[in-house]
Amino acid sequence: MKHRFNSFINERSEDCVKCTIGAGYYSAVTDSARLMVAGQPMGLFDKLVGWLGLKKEVNVLCLGLDNSGKTTIINRLKPSNAQVQDIVPTIGFSIEKFKTSSLSFTVFDMSGQGRYRNLWEHYYKDGQAIIFVIDSADQLRMVVAKEELETLLNHPDIKHRRIPILFFANKMDVRDALSSVRVSQLLCLDNIKDKPWHICATDALKGDGLQDGVEWLQDQIKTMRT
Amino acid sequence: MISSPAEVKNGSGDGGRWLDAHYDPVAGLYTFSSCVDLADLSGDGESRLVVGDLGTGSSGMKLKVYRGTALMSESTLLDLPAGLVAFFMDLHEPRIPAVAVASGPCIYVYKNLRPYFKFTLPGLEINTLEQDVWQQVREGQIDPMCLKEMLESIRKKDAVPLSIRSLRFLSLEADSMDDFVQLHKQQPIRRQTVITCIGTLKKSTTDEDGVSCLVIGTENSDIFVLDPEAFTILSKMCLPAAPTLMDVTGQFDVEFRITVACRNGNIYILRRESNKPKYCIELSSHPVGLVRIGKNVVVGCTDESLQGFTQKGKKLWKINLPAPVTTMAAMDLPTRGFQGVLVGLANCEVHLYRDKNLLSTIKTPDTVTSICFGRYGREDGTLIMTTKGGGLMVKILKRMAVFDDRESAPGPPLAQSVRLNVPKKTKLYVDQTLRERENSLAMHRAFQMDLSRMRLAAARAYVKALESSLTPVSSSLSEPLKMNAVVQGLGPSFKLTLNVQNTAACRPVMNLTISFLYDENLYRMRNPFMRIPLLVPGLIYPVETFVECTSDKGISDIIKVFVLHEGKSSPLLTAHINMPISEGVAFS
Repeated sequence: MKHRFNSFINERSEDCVKCTIGAGYYSAVTDSARLMVAGQPMGLFDKLVGWLGLKKEVNVLCLGLDNSGKTTIINRLKPSNAQVQDIVPTIGFSIEKFKTSSLSFTVFDMSGQGRYRNLWEHYYKDGQAIIFVIDSADQLRMVVAKEELETLLNHPDIKHRRIPILFFANKMDVRDALSSVRVSQLLCLDNIKDKPWHICATDALKGDGLQDGVEWLQDQIKTMRT
Repeated sequence: MISSPAEVKNGSGDGGRWLDAHYDPVAGLYTFSSCVDLADLSGDGESRLVVGDLGTGSSGMKLKVYRGTALMSESTLLDLPAGLVAFFMDLHEPRIPAVAVASGPCIYVYKNLRPYFKFTLPGLEINTLEQDVWQQVREGQIDPMCLKEMLESIRKKDAVPLSIRSLRFLSLEADSMDDFVQLHKQQPIRRQTVITCIGTLKKSTTDEDGVSCLVIGTENSDIFVLDPEAFTILSKMCLPAAPTLMDVTGQFDVEFRITVACRNGNIYILRRESNKPKYCIELSSHPVGLVRIGKNVVVGCTDESLQGFTQKGKKLWKINLPAPVTTMAAMDLPTRGFQGVLVGLANCEVHLYRDKNLLSTIKTPDTVTSICFGRYGREDGTLIMTTKGGGLMVKILKRMAVFDDRESAPGPPLAQSVRLNVPKKTKLYVDQTLRERENSLAMHRAFQMDLSRMRLAAARAYVKALESSLTPVSSSLSEPLKMNAVVQGLGPSFKLTLNVQNTAACRPVMNLTISFLYDENLYRMRNPFMRIPLLVPGLIYPVETFVECTSDKGISDIIKVFVLHEGKSSPLLTAHINMPISEGVAFS
């Protein structure tokens, strides 16, 4: 297991840290899931569903502090003809949809402003995955992001669910931005033992690193389903 | 689920309400609250921290701007900063505030962090005699020694003070006088005051980004209000003493209020219509911090106290603090409707007060010298502190943090303010009250008469008891006696002890006997008649006898004791002993 984990990191870009920490149970699930995904029957079914245009619907919550780039990221993930040019601060929340090869995502793009953050918890129940966006250049507010993450993880609707969390360490284009490894240290992501998580270094303006994260999320959601 | 050392540290007294966002113990920031401000200097919605750094006090004065955790820019200041404010001086877009740094007699205005304008206070009136003397020096008519004498006499006599140059000249040693005079005699003398404090006052709107006037206090006990664009003096006000701390509220064109703490230990409140103070608060000790919360003024004093006043100078409350105050700042969070006062103390603590209630205590690693609360970066509730050792500390108020008023405030318990459910007044009560009110005189008389009657009855009974010697004290002149009785035992046998005492001064009493009167169906007494020996005055003679209860019905009776004198039929003393109920059963 350990060996595979290391080689896995080597295969991927250095900014990406794949999380496979956990008990044997977790690895067993992953293994069987991977077999299923890679297996012939599953693939056939997926292709069939794809042809019919009937993709599985997934609700995803996009959370993070204000000005971390949530809306920009979601905008980037949409098909290029649906993208908007000007991104303005989100008020309350907005619902966006985009599709990947096998899934249809419905994203609740929540506002990150302090006064709207108490809205987040009302959507925890419906969310099947979480995207948590961090402004890597805002070192001062890393504690605030950590605090919000802790509140999120300790919420009764989240605490006992094996819900996948995808972290986007955004704004890598900014000169003083922290590396994704440093961000995960500051947020103490190592302490998340009972949920699959993954952190990606991204630059939402150019779209770097986004696909990487979404692929991971897609894998995780398929794992959960089967 | 997630825990970290930072969180453990957080729990030190502040109830985990603050997040430790940043702490740099060697930031090299030496400043006071008056020289710290937060402003969105680039118009991008992110506030910067602007600090007038005092350096070592003689060199290294700098204007520093922080963005997040990093120092963004630094520019040298020519003189020690006395105060720093960010303010909007025009209506241009984008709305970027200018920074005004008061140092010495000047205000340096920075726009986009570049020097933009310098305002110098007008010169003061010069003593004409002094001017004449220096004129004569320039013409070579008098020598330095003579100059010194003349200046000395002017200083003592005249109302207008001397210029700085003359004062420095007077403090010089004799040998360096010549050089000083040669160096300075060609320049005309000037008298200049310096700025002690600075504040801002909105011109005509209450908008957050409305144009503001600068309000400055000077060493010369004046207050000036400056026009934000032309930098002309719009208004001048005079104080009885030099101002040190200032708070300004309102709008210049409508109505404003300037609260100034002065070096004479008084606080003056100035208003628009008058150039003299409207109200005065006389403090018992010198103020070190001044904060306005709503319409009240909170002052920290050198006697380790915090005092609250109304805007008209009426004292509301006073509390004692555990240590001297180092600095004070207001904590205003309009989004949560919270207003409080942050007080930095010399014992490395920062206390948060709402009125006189202590809400929270923040422990700091070093003594805090400046406090600033407001929007920093994109976070509204940010607390920025600098320490004595030059450290910079940034704390962020948690989104969920709540402050409880009654957390640690000593005082009456909460139950005291709960209203009791007092029943309504009944008709009977009201009628009685009315009757009492109407007939008070008669009722009083009736009461007094009954009281007198009762007293009379008591006195009569007492006299009767004395006459028939029914009391345990005899007051007859020949045999003054006192007796008390003690009953011991549970029954059926009791021990009866009579303590007899002769209370006469020096005469012994003799020929006394004791006799008992009791119900013979109930009690049996070993010797119901006894002789008492000669009684020496003062001593207590115990006379003991045994009583047996013969009844098993659980009843008791009185035993009467008589002290008799031989040959007299009436007793000297009588005592009634209430026998206890026998708890045992007689053997026979």
